[in-house]
Amino acid sequence: MPLDRSVSETATPVTTVDVFTLWLAMDEYRTRSRLFAALVLGVLVVLGLRLVQLQIVDTQAYSGASRNNAVREVRVKPARGVIYDRQGILMVDNEPTYNIAITPRYFDTTRIDLLADLLEVPDTVVRTRYQEALDWSGFQASRSFPNVTFDQFSRVQEHQYRLPGVSYEKGQKRRYLTDARAAHALGYIREIGPGALERQRPEGYRRGDLIGQAGVERTYEPFLRGDVGSEFVLVNVHGRRVQPYRSGVEDIPPSSGYDLHLTIDSDIQALAESLFVNKRGGLVALDPRTGAVLAMVSKPDFDPGLFSRPVSAETWNYLQNSLDKPMFNRATQSGMAPGSTWKPFMALMALQEGLITPTSRLSCPGFHPLGNGRTFRCMGVHGSIDVGTALQTSCNTFFFELMMRTDVNTFSRYANAFGFGVNAPTDINEQWAGTIPDSAYFNRVYPRGWTVGYSINLGVGQGNMVVTPLQLARYMGAVAMRGTIHAPHLVDHLVRLDTQERVEPDLPEGETLPVETAYFDLVREGMRRVMEQGTGRLLQIPGIPSGGKTGTAQVGANREDNSAFVMFAPYDDPQIAIAAIVENAGFGSVAAGPIASLVAEQYLTGQIADTPTRRLVLNRALTSESEPLDDGQ
Amino acid sequence: MRSWTWYKNLDYLTIFLWLALVVIGLVAIYSTTQGPAAAYLLDTEQQSFQRQLAWAVICVVGIAVALLLPVRFFQASAYLIYAGTILLLLAALVFGDEINGARSWIRFGPVGLQSAELAKVGTLLAVAHLLSSKRPGTDNVRFAVATVALILIPAVLIILQNDTGTALVFLALIPIMLYWSGLPITAILLVIAPGLAGYLAIWSTWAGWGFAALFTLGIFLTTRQRMLTSLAGVFTGGTVVAFSLILTKILQPYQLARILSFTNPEAEEYRTGVGFNLVQSKAAIGSGGLFGKGFMEGTQTQGRYVPAQSTDFVFSVIGEEFGFIGSLLLLTLFACLLLRLIGLGMDMKHPFGALLAWGTVGVLLIHIFVNVGMATGLLPVIGIPLPFISYGGSALLANSAMVAIALSLHMRRDDFSIYGY
Repeated sequence: MPLDRSVSETATPVTTVDVFTLWLAMDEYRTRSRLFAALVLGVLVVLGLRLVQLQIVDTQAYSGASRNNAVREVRVKPARGVIYDRQGILMVDNEPTYNIAITPRYFDTTRIDLLADLLEVPDTVVRTRYQEALDWSGFQASRSFPNVTFDQFSRVQEHQYRLPGVSYEKGQKRRYLTDARAAHALGYIREIGPGALERQRPEGYRRGDLIGQAGVERTYEPFLRGDVGSEFVLVNVHGRRVQPYRSGVEDIPPSSGYDLHLTIDSDIQALAESLFVNKRGGLVALDPRTGAVLAMVSKPDFDPGLFSRPVSAETWNYLQNSLDKPMFNRATQSGMAPGSTWKPFMALMALQEGLITPTSRLSCPGFHPLGNGRTFRCMGVHGSIDVGTALQTSCNTFFFELMMRTDVNTFSRYANAFGFGVNAPTDINEQWAGTIPDSAYFNRVYPRGWTVGYSINLGVGQGNMVVTPLQLARYMGAVAMRGTIHAPHLVDHLVRLDTQERVEPDLPEGETLPVETAYFDLVREGMRRVMEQGTGRLLQIPGIPSGGKTGTAQVGANREDNSAFVMFAPYDDPQIAIAAIVENAGFGSVAAGPIASLVAEQYLTGQIADTPTRRLVLNRALTSESEPLDDGQ
Repeated sequence: MRSWTWYKNLDYLTIFLWLALVVIGLVAIYSTTQGPAAAYLLDTEQQSFQRQLAWAVICVVGIAVALLLPVRFFQASAYLIYAGTILLLLAALVFGDEINGARSWIRFGPVGLQSAELAKVGTLLAVAHLLSSKRPGTDNVRFAVATVALILIPAVLIILQNDTGTALVFLALIPIMLYWSGLPITAILLVIAPGLAGYLAIWSTWAGWGFAALFTLGIFLTTRQRMLTSLAGVFTGGTVVAFSLILTKILQPYQLARILSFTNPEAEEYRTGVGFNLVQSKAAIGSGGLFGKGFMEGTQTQGRYVPAQSTDFVFSVIGEEFGFIGSLLLLTLFACLLLRLIGLGMDMKHPFGALLAWGTVGVLLIHIFVNVGMATGLLPVIGIPLPFISYGGSALLANSAMVAIALSLHMRRDDFSIYGY
């Protein structure tokens, strides 16, 4: 190492001139300078090579990292499809909501009181929400304050620069515009729950998304929802949007959902709901020619608008646990004995099976002999009557006898064909098949054996069978149409706003029942006599002939009977078939009948005639009450 | 022999390089504070560009003043200036404002000065003065000790101010100034080698041991001196042992994380904490690619993902927005400036001027290496600015002053008394 020859080795007696000469002559320093220059270059070359590695070799990976960082795909939620009734009246649309979100990683906890002041809530609330957000995720925005008012929203927006980690988003909520609640037909939307989120993530659902929970909102969710769009934005380290990424060239606009056109008539829906005051029960009115549901009422009900706001624990508890079961769709899920409304079915089955002929007469001594006068009793002593009179007078003895002459398997086969004991093909999600017994059922329920005495009650719509109002209405539609039974449905068609694409529900065509038309004529005639001379004579729609049948179904020792009523109208050209059951309200002609009759009149004539009889009917409809439920029930 | 054409000796290339670097710095600062995200910044941050511009103008005036001063002024006042900066350091320690955890700021009315930056100038002047008075035949060791002492005094004060990064610059200056003091190269290597061994030991103890063995062997093969060889072994091996002890036994976990995180900042335990700066800085530089994302178009920069992006991590802005081409241009400009300053030193026929120029190169080189090395993940995060580029008036002033003094001495190199001292 030549450099080791340090200056001192060449030292001579010291003079300042010598030093200067030395300095000039010093190859030493020249060499050291060159070495130093080499060091400078070496260091910069090392740094340059590092840049080659970062910016040329690995640039792909770092580009990905930086894009993940700073470019956020923001989901742009589409407008949910709106809902119209059959007349084109807007029933449900959307209004904007404002939500405040916290991203804990960037949130400055010293600003808790500022945020609390802006939102006008106690500090502790903000602290709690922050903690909840933190527990969920540090890096993702939690919608900590959903549905704030516009004022709160604007205040937070104004002060946003002082609130790192606080962001806002606009959402939408449902707005209900008509007097008709139609809670069970429409259903409601809520934020998607954790379980559903897990399952439906592949379909693009994310936390905080709204999803239809019942009714058509649920059935038609894939249509109503629309297509989520994407916006790519540059966000800063605090998660705040700085500007669109690449001026938005990669953005995909959202596409609104399909608008729903219901078969429901909001006017008669509203009327039917109002007539159910102080009552529990269900009503279904449909167009017998198509199966289109004109009105579907279940009471008690709930306000679907409740779910557009945060639902308090108290409200939720009521909705879920109260005896009234407001969320339960009594029109389609509640099984009840049909009572005498069942008799037209029995007549049709017996005629088709040849158990009686149109002219067969049976004798009614006031009871069926099987019960020796103690059970299986009739409401009157009808003497020798044919099937038409039996329907008109609602003779129990006659229909007990028909049940005696058949077997439960034939019975259940016919009942199933009429839509009982099975689920209907429909776009109504919430429905129950009810119960129609066959021999297997009886064997299961009565393992020690059973006799005809166990099944004879089925002849008058009592005993081991339950049906729903929807099934009764559908059956009434089939009677009205002389044997053609349709799939009941709530939605007529869907239209996509931007493309005008039209979709119709995929439902089967109407089916023809295996009963001769002549027998239907006979039964329809009997039902017209009910309305003209029988239990329904007060319920006749002024000027419009119709067919109907009341029913009064026993429910238990100490409870008021269920009031049931089925009808169709007009008689010659049926446009509406209707079934109503009012729980624990007495005779069919007292509670269910007036409601059904008034709804049918409103539908057919657009008004309720101002006659003394109609006023009486209206009064009955409004004053009849369901016996209240109590905890002992 | 004063000439009216003194300016003919002025080195315009250095002035041009200085100006180019300052302009690049202003461009980077403009991008960080005037871009689309500016609305989210505090007012004081938004004014960064204007402040830095004002500082640049002050520096131009300062350079002019330095050029007007006679050479004797710098020599005569070297110790005085040194003493003054030491007093400033003490004053900052006692009366100073604490900013970012370091008590190094002194306020003069509206202007805040970082005493540690100014201390670099004073120290450099003092050391150059000291070493230029060294006569051949004088004891190397005495001068070496005096040099180390001159540097250690401000370094210790700065450590007390809690500004470890700047103190490390002073420590790194020691071997460089010893090199210029004429100390044998082997001795310099003995000072530098433990540093390298320690650096490698952070990556891996085995690498540290490997380096220690190779270095010791190299010393033995070149010098065949048992004494030197054993010193080399003890220094390097001892450092590796010391580092592994410090890393495993002495440091608190959070301190350890700060040091270790640069070797793998993306690791789960670091990426959101101590490694965050580095992850973001590397993402910024790496994603710049060959041509960069364009002025005010860097997503990392405009999104403010890299903390301290206008100060210590300013290189990430240039790397992201101007890419490899821009970064390389910057490094090339630095290389030109440093090599030119070495050349100026060689031009000067007097050790004071030469030592000052070369010392300036040393100071700048340490800053550039540590700063860019840190921003690119080669070195642990040590908070020191990139000369002429980072936002910060004191640093710009101090670095410009060193260059200006070197320029002034070079311009008036013929005025040096042939008696020198």
